Amino acid sequence: MRVTIKKWSAVATWQWDISEDDVCGICQVHFDGTCPTCKYPGDDCSLLSGKCGHNFHMHCIMEWIKQESAKGQCPMCRQSKPPWTPPTVYLDYMLTM
Amino acid sequence: MSAGMSGRRLMKELGKIHNDGLPPGIELVSSGESEADNSDWLLDIRVLDDNPLYKDQVYRLRFRFPKAYPIEPPEVTFENRPDRPIPMHPHVYSNGIICLDLLGSQGWSPVQSAQSVCMSIQSMLTSNNKNERPEGDEQFVKMNKSRPRDIQFLYDDNTV
Repeated sequence: MRVTIKKWSAVATWQWDISEDDVCGICQVHFDGTCPTCKYPGDDCSLLSGKCGHNFHMHCIMEWIKQESAKGQCPMCRQSKPPWTPPTVYLDYMLTM
Repeated sequence: MSAGMSGRRLMKELGKIHNDGLPPGIELVSSGESEADNSDWLLDIRVLDDNPLYKDQVYRLRFRFPKAYPIEPPEVTFENRPDRPIPMHPHVYSNGIICLDLLGSQGWSPVQSAQSVCMSIQSMLTSNNKNERPEGDEQFVKMNKSRPRDIQFLYDDNTV
């Protein structure tokens, strides 16, 4: 018997690929939670990671970088001007139908 | 992010203090006038070694947290009370104002906390052996009307 799949949709959950019990050093909220201004974690409240390996909620680190005295440095290690990029994510599971 | 940021962050810090406690020699005396306003804390600190300048003495710190904390630093001063003197230190004025780079906008980092600031002040005292006030203390205490955060300190002696 031949089965033709006419339509399928994939469903997955994802997590930040970082240490599980880490909190954002600025707001001290867990990375699975949101920064103080957001309601929902995830896509709308992303994380940013410096070259130095330190992670923060995007909105928290932006607030800091806006300060002149921050000089673009990571608040954790004071290393100069790391380019900030989102950390990698991993998919937990995927269901296809 | 302005409104509510300091409130939530301070709740986090309080929660952590209640769960894990504070390091030796640091005690939380009060964390605000009311539950709604937790922007003014009092903490007692002691120096843990036998430094004769500070032995058997307890000092009281007042923390005033601005709305934008921890993006902006808290204002931290020693409070003078009958049983809580102002410690002798070349960076501590006799009115309780502390000249410490991490409390100024140039040295502050938002990953600092009330606890880490207390620990820095503890170690600033521990490592000091000069029984003196900053230069021009008398004049400064008489004249100064600005709030600590608006004062331009000269960090002229980085050995203390």
